[in-house]
Amino acid sequence: MTVKTKARLTRRQFLKAAGLTAGATAASPLLSACGPAAPAGPVKIGVLLPYSAVYAELGNSIEKGMRMYLEEKNSEAGGRKIELITEDEGATPDEATPKAKKLVEQDEVDLVTGIVSSGVLGALRDYFDQNKKLLICSNAGANQLSRQAKTPYIWRTSFTNWQPNWPVGPWAAENVGKRVFVSVPDYAAGHNMRDAFLNSFQAAGGEAVGLQLTPFPNIGDPAPYITEIANAEADFLYCFYSGGQAVTFLKAYGDFGLAGQLPLLSAGFMVEEDVLPAHGDYALGVRSGLHWALYLDNPENKTFSPTYQAKYDRTPDVFAVQGYDTGRVIVEMLNQTQGDTNVDKMIDVLGGISFASPRGPFTLDTATQNPKHHIYLRDVQTVDGAPHNVVLADLGEVVDPGDDSKG
Amino acid sequence: MEAFITQLLNGLVTSMLLFIVAAGLSLIFGLMDVINLAHGAFYLLGGYVALTVMEQSGEFWRALIYAPLIVALLGLIIEVVFLRRLYGRHRHLEQVLLMFGVALIVTDFIRATWGAFVESVPNPELLSGHVTIFNVQYPVYRLSLIGFGLMLAFLLWLFIERTRLGAIVRAGVSDAQMVGGLGIDVQRVFAAMFAFGTALAALAGVVGAPIFSLYPGLDSEVLILALVVVVIGGLGTLKGAFYGSLVIGLADTFGKAALPEFSRFLLFAVMAAVLLIRPTGLFGQKGG
Repeated sequence: MTVKTKARLTRRQFLKAAGLTAGATAASPLLSACGPAAPAGPVKIGVLLPYSAVYAELGNSIEKGMRMYLEEKNSEAGGRKIELITEDEGATPDEATPKAKKLVEQDEVDLVTGIVSSGVLGALRDYFDQNKKLLICSNAGANQLSRQAKTPYIWRTSFTNWQPNWPVGPWAAENVGKRVFVSVPDYAAGHNMRDAFLNSFQAAGGEAVGLQLTPFPNIGDPAPYITEIANAEADFLYCFYSGGQAVTFLKAYGDFGLAGQLPLLSAGFMVEEDVLPAHGDYALGVRSGLHWALYLDNPENKTFSPTYQAKYDRTPDVFAVQGYDTGRVIVEMLNQTQGDTNVDKMIDVLGGISFASPRGPFTLDTATQNPKHHIYLRDVQTVDGAPHNVVLADLGEVVDPGDDSKG
Repeated sequence: MEAFITQLLNGLVTSMLLFIVAAGLSLIFGLMDVINLAHGAFYLLGGYVALTVMEQSGEFWRALIYAPLIVALLGLIIEVVFLRRLYGRHRHLEQVLLMFGVALIVTDFIRATWGAFVESVPNPELLSGHVTIFNVQYPVYRLSLIGFGLMLAFLLWLFIERTRLGAIVRAGVSDAQMVGGLGIDVQRVFAAMFAFGTALAALAGVVGAPIFSLYPGLDSEVLILALVVVVIGGLGTLKGAFYGSLVIGLADTFGKAALPEFSRFLLFAVMAAVLLIRPTGLFGQKGG
């Protein structure tokens, strides 16, 4: 009995496989025949963003921002319609990898965009590199992708982790104090941000009186860390936490009476608009470096922010801006290739794409395949009855150095 | 010295929160032999329901009562409709699958209802601010949590050791069939205990929310810690859950303070060490 069933299954599987192969062989000449010469049909873009787990709201923001730009352009670029196919990135490489393969191999998308987690980006780097498939990353900031692990096939419209931290060092040394306690989560992004800040802070005469690497992703109750920090007699605290970690950490910081006593500076994600409502008043006075702020004063942002707010009934955050810029980069790229999705042609035109973004002047740097943009020193203040980020100082255009020489 | 006292208090706060979660998990396991993988999800649901109650009424105390009741009702329904069919010696896999499924549905329901934003829960107004004890400034809410946990431990002990219902539960842990043979409706006891266990998870979710906040993914963090506590303390005993919580809460806190990079490792090292010396946990009875 068992043998018979097994044999039948194998035969069926064989037939199915044979059919698929035959179908694919039959279809491929047809596809290539109507390929580059007369690009027909929509450009298919795979969108790989987290819609579940910890980063779900980041994924939502990025997709909304991107759709908003595409809709402004009638979802058209280079004479072709743009079609988005979304998949859930989840929180780990195990979840994201099969989805990326599905988009590339099954849906046969022309390019992929998205990726929030640096861990996922690192894990997928070789896949895109070896398959020569274009990935336009709209968040994950791992420095290496613009440095040692750079590949022609991965470009970023977001940031490197180095960017929002490095210019804050000298500013802090001059305006806040020379003795810092640094607390970051113990994973690649935390290390990137700590190294970038300390590099320029120490060069400006500052010193680190305490360093703390906390477990990631589960911080648990941060009270023990806060107690250590409170006893360290630093001038100020420098942190990078995001999402749930940011909220629990800042809550403990406030509950233990440090708010207003020990100034807190951070990478901007810690007090970005997505987490500010949860922080409440404890966030007031927290200063941070980032490439955008809700009340950043430029014409593009003055249109973008209210439009996004009205369209989706939610406060825009830096992730929405990154999504919006990603939409724009894709559209401008396809306009320049006149709808051609040959990967070499797309890569050719990406470097140097430049426009006025809600984050200010935006240029895709050819050397690091990552934006050149300004970093703003922001301060959380009560605006219209709620805590929001306002800009204290423009720290100028910041370009990733392309190697580890500056942290 | 001041730092040590502060860290000791921090450790007790974590311990008491863990105890409330682990007590429910342990009671359910002890009586019904069910590993409730949805326990973390019930914790989180309790926290979110409390959040809504607080937003509606503006009072923490209402949340403290309503959220556990609502979640307990859900637990009761799950026990009566699904879990009841799966009791038995060789059905652990089915139980685990069922409760894992419940956990997925509950967490997805949470995301659909409250979204995936992080929610912070303010301390109840009466318990905000600081007090100075032993020369140390300490948040009032955290201090009262220690008291609340100890009080709850005492009440649970009274209930299990000194009441008729507690005696039935204890007898059920040893031999549920025999209890049934004595003319006691074991099914009702099981249902009540399951609801009570989920209520404890939800209660922990309410009182823990001002400390851990609420966000997707917290459910599995809580579940893992509670499982560690229950394993260390010995499956199915209240005493085990209490001392297991103290061991893990203090090890976690002092580990974080001394060696933050290795605190997670230390936690599991402690678990491994305890299990090496006492394979059934500190107070485990069911030898294997």
